[in-house]
Amino acid sequence: MTGTVRTYLNGDNLTTLAQQLAPAPEADKVTLLRRVTYDLTGLPPTPDEVNHFLADPSAVAYEKVVDRLLASPHFGERMAVPWLDAARYADSNGFQQDGDTFQWIWRDWVVKALNADMPFDQFGTEQLAGDLLPDATLEQKIATAFNRNHLLNGEGGAIAEEQRNVILFDRVDVTSTTFLGLTMACAQCHDHKYDPITQKDYYSLMAGFNNIPESGVPTFYSTRIRVGPPVVELSSPEYEEGMAKLQEQESAAKTAAGPDWEARRDALQKAWEDQLLADNKADESNWTRLIKDVREAPKDKPNNYAAGRIRTEFEQKRLPALPGQEDLKKIIRIQTNLRNYKAEELPRVMVMEESKPRQTHLLSRGDYEQPLEKVSFATPAFLPALPPAAPSNRLGLARWLFDPAHPLTSRVQVNRFWQLYFGTGLVKTSEDLGSQGEYPLHGDLLEWLAVELRDSGWRVKAMHRLIVTSAAYRQSSRATPALLQRDPENRLHARGPRFRLPAMFLRDTALAASGLLQTKTGGKPVYPYQPEGIWDEINVYGNLRNYKHDKDAGLYRRSMYTIWKRTSAPPNMLMFDMPGRELCVVRRSRTNTPLQALSLLNEITYVEASRALAERMLVEGGSSTTERIRFAFQLATARKPSERELHSLLSGLDRRLAFFQSDPESAKKLLMVGEKKAASELDPLQLAAYSITASVILNLDETVTKE
Amino acid sequence: MISPCQHRQALSLQDALNRRSFLSHGAGGIGLAALAGLANGDQTARVTPGGLSGLPHMLAKAKRVIYLFQSGAPSQMELFDYKPSLEKYRGQNLPDSVRNGQRLTGMSSGQATFPVAPSIFNFSKKGKCGADWSELMPFTGELVDELAIIRSMYTEAINHDPAITFFQTGNQLPGRPSIGSWLAYGLGSENQDLPAYVVLTSKGTGRTDDQPLYDRLWGSGFLPTQYQGVKFRNAGDPVLYLSNPPGVDRDMRRAMLDEVRELNEQKLAQSGDPEIATRIAQYELAFRMQSSVPELANVKSEPKHILDLYGPEVNMPGKYAANCLLARRLAERGVRFIQLFHMGWDHHGNLPNALRGQCKDTDQPTAALIKDLKQHGLLDDTLIVWGGEFGRTVYTQGALTENYGRDHHPRCFSLFLAGGGIKPGVTHGETDDYCYNIVKDGVHVRDLHATILHQLGVNHERFTYPFNGLDARLTGVEPARVVKEILS
Repeated sequence: MTGTVRTYLNGDNLTTLAQQLAPAPEADKVTLLRRVTYDLTGLPPTPDEVNHFLADPSAVAYEKVVDRLLASPHFGERMAVPWLDAARYADSNGFQQDGDTFQWIWRDWVVKALNADMPFDQFGTEQLAGDLLPDATLEQKIATAFNRNHLLNGEGGAIAEEQRNVILFDRVDVTSTTFLGLTMACAQCHDHKYDPITQKDYYSLMAGFNNIPESGVPTFYSTRIRVGPPVVELSSPEYEEGMAKLQEQESAAKTAAGPDWEARRDALQKAWEDQLLADNKADESNWTRLIKDVREAPKDKPNNYAAGRIRTEFEQKRLPALPGQEDLKKIIRIQTNLRNYKAEELPRVMVMEESKPRQTHLLSRGDYEQPLEKVSFATPAFLPALPPAAPSNRLGLARWLFDPAHPLTSRVQVNRFWQLYFGTGLVKTSEDLGSQGEYPLHGDLLEWLAVELRDSGWRVKAMHRLIVTSAAYRQSSRATPALLQRDPENRLHARGPRFRLPAMFLRDTALAASGLLQTKTGGKPVYPYQPEGIWDEINVYGNLRNYKHDKDAGLYRRSMYTIWKRTSAPPNMLMFDMPGRELCVVRRSRTNTPLQALSLLNEITYVEASRALAERMLVEGGSSTTERIRFAFQLATARKPSERELHSLLSGLDRRLAFFQSDPESAKKLLMVGEKKAASELDPLQLAAYSITASVILNLDETVTKE
Repeated sequence: MISPCQHRQALSLQDALNRRSFLSHGAGGIGLAALAGLANGDQTARVTPGGLSGLPHMLAKAKRVIYLFQSGAPSQMELFDYKPSLEKYRGQNLPDSVRNGQRLTGMSSGQATFPVAPSIFNFSKKGKCGADWSELMPFTGELVDELAIIRSMYTEAINHDPAITFFQTGNQLPGRPSIGSWLAYGLGSENQDLPAYVVLTSKGTGRTDDQPLYDRLWGSGFLPTQYQGVKFRNAGDPVLYLSNPPGVDRDMRRAMLDEVRELNEQKLAQSGDPEIATRIAQYELAFRMQSSVPELANVKSEPKHILDLYGPEVNMPGKYAANCLLARRLAERGVRFIQLFHMGWDHHGNLPNALRGQCKDTDQPTAALIKDLKQHGLLDDTLIVWGGEFGRTVYTQGALTENYGRDHHPRCFSLFLAGGGIKPGVTHGETDDYCYNIVKDGVHVRDLHATILHQLGVNHERFTYPFNGLDARLTGVEPARVVKEILS
């Protein structure tokens, strides 16, 4: 099979379209190992992995490596990143409080599903409609957070209905871009000009997302505004333990106060209320009005809202001001703690739920205040009809997407896979396979891959395996001037891919090469180094303020676990073309800027990693300077440096040794950077000089590039 | 209409241009030399370094923009739109015939009455043009003969995020490029050692808990990310990661870069990837920025009389006054789009005091900036825009008290422009007696965008980027009009 595929992927199609451009020879083993390790795990290969591969004489040594990588827990992390871009996943709600959420529980679901090689139809169906599956499991409900990673505008004046419609637009955008490779947004206001998508199609699809019991704005669970229902509430051993402790305190306080504590509190509250009514002061008018509202409410229709506000006011503000009553105050304090603990610490994931059917209308020019004709759920008319047994809801949408007759779903996905490996999809406009998108350059290859994905039972790992074992993928990326002239963007695949690593894997590389990387997968977001005051210069709201970086393991986790605050996203990621995670992005730009150079040269993460790498050079890298430089060079690029490269690095190191010997203070300063203490048993002057060499190596084009 | 086929051609050409322009961005001889084989002759001929070929479309009156964004929305009634007629409606409910179905924000939608609140501040005639001017801005008032005041701005958004997003990107929903990114993309920078789009932020004293700003406001949307605004920081390095690590001096950095370059050149020779040449050039640019940015930010070289002009806060980094002086220095150095955001204008309550604070922050520095640009000969080709994201309601939010406040109002508000080919000393547009509706010469957000572009020599209808199967433009699909009446 592999042989056939290799022939196909590099055979008639590609060479025909390349007008007989000869394919490049296969990349050398080390380059290929590095390329595939990055592509499948987002990390560089270790020297052991390199040596093992080089020493394996088997004809299928490469295939063995591919299988090892596909089975690695880092596969799911790596493949999750583009999916999280599409799903505009972040750890905060957006604006204006931009407080944190628990959507990371969904992020972990994605990584797990990818690692388990969940078939893509199941992967998509559970995310679109897991809640509607028969006897939906908690995991399947969590999967639907895909459609709840949207922004939540919590500004004071936000008009809930307006914002709810913004969210609906966003869901249509995310769903159509991610799964259909169509940009439907034009049809919000009018029939699509070029693609056969009507305004009615747009709103009929939107109707599928319009039955969620959501308001459009976030809900106060506590002093921190974070999420908007519907949510699933989860638990964790840590949470249960904290809860039990507080409950214990509460019952102890109640026992101490005696069985009449509630009656005593009620009497005190009544006395306060009576006093307010008697005084009738202007500045208490708000409360006297509410008190009257409660007292005058008909018995069968108690005013619970007003009663609740009065109770809170009394317990939180008035009771503490009264003399004595220490036992009551204590109970209230503990109860408040309990409430806050539950509000703030109970993990709750925003999910989809089909419990509030609403009538959907076509909206004139997309204006929620101008509804036109009624519509009900339907898939776009120009595409195949819903399969006969599919229900008329999100689950039906999913069944329709993964119906074997659907012409887009599998094409869209294989094109994205191609983009991941080659930098550009077979259709370059991977967000738009419609008539305004690029016409596929290798159409029958796209078809063939799409059919392969569908007919294999939507096996994702098998597709990845297919591509990375192809001859097209295995080519050397070396470009001759003639080839560059002919095919500057490598659309004809007469050479292998070569482009800068995606943002997150750049930082991961520095951490991995230096040995700092913590490979734990999943869990709460972590707080690595970020610029001082990153969250405070332009925002005084929400709980995500006063950024404090972690002190230990959290500094060195993979970048995908870094807390992502939407309004102030990690600048070292945005600089390297990460999207802001505010809306669906399936194709990143790839830029090359001076700010990127500054980050790699000066950012604390990289300075500390350089020193850690220097320590490895001195401790593990052998006894000679040459060996040590070879060691670091290999950690960063997987290969051994040439004599010429070695010469450049050696003379640089010599110069710096001399410099630091003449200026030990500077060495000392350099070694102070970062939380991790420099190894004290090493000569600081030598370590400083090696750190600079390590930084040079980490800044090489080759280090930051997949080739 | 462009046929799909033509469109595809346009797209690939556009992409070639983009690629070409960012490759050449900041690239010295080496980058370009190494790239010689990359683009075919036709495309090369069309490209000018740092911007798109064919731009500007016409003679540009302005080379750059300083946009003084007053975030939160300053009240037009207290500042620009003098309405003595309001006195007779004091405390009365705004007639439904005037409100005419205008939607309300979530903050006043529960309000039973809408009592009219006249401004408590005095106005007087200023300058030769005789514009009515508020006592809150005495310094800028001395310069009214330099300004074009628009009293008839309007928008569709009624809350901050959609409204600021609209002003910044031409669309209320996130995802579009900001105006500064558009111009950085189209026109490039005149100074290769500084970013083309620089953002400076300051917090106001009028309302310290005002609504936040966020990265997306100066984001590049669907344009390549190198066109996103670079926000200068108010503490530490103005540009992130600018300083060498402790213990590394400039000589050592130079030696490191030479070493990186030597190795990268070896790699370039071996692999042939022109992107390596670009990377080498970007490292050189980074090195130059390490001196150009601190030199820019160091205002100690400014003479005392200039510092005095901006007022006492000019020496306090992160203050509006300090940012105004920086704006002049950025303009001098050819930065294309300089945008200040001053927070704190969202006055739902306690408006009189809050406005006093905001005006104290901004009035003198704004005036100083205009004067200073003028005396440096920069005002003629620098377009200044001063304004917020919408206006404020004529009625109070809550009861009419001494500490009244005003809610958001999209239907009319004021802003002013100066320099850059703007006709000085004019007032454009008119609102009704209630300062609630426009009665003459409305200017939509899109019209302002079209006008800004026009002053920079860019035809807003022809300045497009292919996205989502459309030739997307800053002004969107609705018609937009250059406000010719305020142009000289």
